[in-house]
Amino acid sequence: MGAACSRKRDQLDNVDGFDRGVSGRYCKSGSSKWLATTLSRPILEIQREKKKCPSLLELCTHKIREDIDNYVSFSTLPRDLSQQIFNELVKSQRLTDVSLEAFRDCALQDLYLGDYPGVNENWMDVISSQGSSLLSLDLSGSDVSDPGLIYLKDCVNLQDLNLNYCDQISDRGLKHISGLSNLRSLTFRRNSAITAQGMAALSGLVNLMKLDLEKCPGIHGGLIHIKGLTKLESLSIKWCNCITDADMKPLSGLTNLKSLQISCSKVTDFGITYLKGLQNLSVLNLEGCPVTASCFDTLSVLVSLLYLNLSRCNLSDDGCEKLSSKFHIYPFLVCRVKKVLRWPLTYGYFLLTELGNLKVLNLGFNDISDACLIHLKGLQNLKCLELSDTEVGSNGLRYLSGLCKLESINLSFTVVSDGGLRELSGLTSLKSLNLDARQITDAGLAALTSLTGLTHLDLFGARITDSGTSHLRNLKNLRSLEICGGGLTDAGVKNIKDLSSLSLLNLSQNCNLTDKTLEMISGLTGLISLNVSNSRVTSAGLRHLKPLKNLRSLTLEACKVTANDIRRLQSAGLPNLVNFRPE
Amino acid sequence: MKKEDTVKLISAEGMEFVIDKEAAMVSQTIRNMLTSPGGFAEAEHGEVTFPEISAVILEKICQYFYWSLQYSRGKETEFHIEPELTLELMMAANYLHT
Repeated sequence: MGAACSRKRDQLDNVDGFDRGVSGRYCKSGSSKWLATTLSRPILEIQREKKKCPSLLELCTHKIREDIDNYVSFSTLPRDLSQQIFNELVKSQRLTDVSLEAFRDCALQDLYLGDYPGVNENWMDVISSQGSSLLSLDLSGSDVSDPGLIYLKDCVNLQDLNLNYCDQISDRGLKHISGLSNLRSLTFRRNSAITAQGMAALSGLVNLMKLDLEKCPGIHGGLIHIKGLTKLESLSIKWCNCITDADMKPLSGLTNLKSLQISCSKVTDFGITYLKGLQNLSVLNLEGCPVTASCFDTLSVLVSLLYLNLSRCNLSDDGCEKLSSKFHIYPFLVCRVKKVLRWPLTYGYFLLTELGNLKVLNLGFNDISDACLIHLKGLQNLKCLELSDTEVGSNGLRYLSGLCKLESINLSFTVVSDGGLRELSGLTSLKSLNLDARQITDAGLAALTSLTGLTHLDLFGARITDSGTSHLRNLKNLRSLEICGGGLTDAGVKNIKDLSSLSLLNLSQNCNLTDKTLEMISGLTGLISLNVSNSRVTSAGLRHLKPLKNLRSLTLEACKVTANDIRRLQSAGLPNLVNFRPE
Repeated sequence: MKKEDTVKLISAEGMEFVIDKEAAMVSQTIRNMLTSPGGFAEAEHGEVTFPEISAVILEKICQYFYWSLQYSRGKETEFHIEPELTLELMMAANYLHT
């Protein structure tokens, strides 16, 4: 019986590890908005898997898991079987330093121990006994320290190494992995002990394609050592607030880079000029960097860009003092620029039109206004546009009306008002629209009735009243809806009650809503998250929620409802309810 | 039981297990042997020999086949596995795609 050769390494792409059985210590608690999307899938899977008969292989694996202490060694098993047992033990958190011993010399290929409790130095001996078979090792969040990494010297074929959040590892540890020249992916997030000096150990990792040094505050000056890693396709140094323009220079020759994350560093327009040669770059994240519109000089030549994040930068309408000196470089601009004479200060944004492939553009939290938007007109491939917290207003939206591939626009906290929304009515590809702004009212919603593809509509702070909700009746695909402006009464909920695709509904802050609202939405059985806080809902109304079997999150703060009332509802028939307030 | 509705599974020691074809087809490997158009000898004679599977394991596997049929018809009972068989059974299950 030969061991099957097929390797199941499907976890490989999942380095961020949100899909693990083990509870991640570093998971961020998501906002209610994301709850719906992250929670909806497991439910469907549970329902689907119920009917499936467990295979004999699974039954054996489970049996071994139950009696794990009786097994001395799995080294006689074919590798894929011992791998399967190992994965099962990790998933069920049954693996200990004692049971680990049974996996000595099993020639395992993948050891995903990220965030696994108790992993430390003592585990490294068995880990290294996998020798040249080991291809992928995740020790993130473990207590492994520098001497522990000595063991990895034997694992010469290691391709992926994850040491995120290993705060016991420093420059000295890095030295021990300097010979692992087969490494393709190395990640070291949130390590404050690594310095420029230690990074010298990386210079020999010539096959590295992915390097993640997010939140490493001591690496300034160290990127010089990765200058020769020309296979690098993905580099993240985001949240490294030590990174300056000088650190960009060594990157200028890394022409295979496809993804570069330097958000929240000190890189300015000058530093960006070093990136000019990175013609393969498709993802560039500059969020929170002190760059201005002058950086468009450089960005406009990065024609492969698909994703550009310039949120929270120093962009303003007034960004192109230097452009006059550019005219000789872009002579063709001069004639075209005349057409935009009304916005003499926005030539920089004009350069954006060169980025015709761009799919995602984030300009949020900048001091920009309508004048900039005209230059987005040519970005015909744009799917997602973030303009939240800008001075963009109704006049600017007309330049977006031709971007017919747009699927998502965020206009929250802009100065867009009802009159401007007409310009969006032709964007029938739109799936997600955020209009969380106080000046949006019922009148504006009338322009949205044609957007029947909308799945997410955020009207959180908009002043929507009952009459406005009548415009939502045809938006049958809505999966999430937030109306929290205070103007809604039970009468308005009547228009919402038949939006049967809804899985997230937030009607909080509408203090006139009563139990009648709960009664009306009792038919929305797809609801996973419901918020009717700050209303006149009472415990007597809770019974109407019993049909909402999929409900996982229920928030009724500042209502006449106690935690015990909700707990009773939970035990009376809402077994999926895991998250509720008051609690 | 008509002969064409059954198959004979033969263990390493030569022990013969005659079971319903439907049950045996729970194993993807056996299903392939019995149904592939290439005209395997197994398909012709309705006999499959497993020189690497002992009788005690093969018996357990046959039990699983029937248990699996019942399970898929809604009778969700527990399938008992003796601890001392587990590793060998696992290897056989892997081979049989079961």
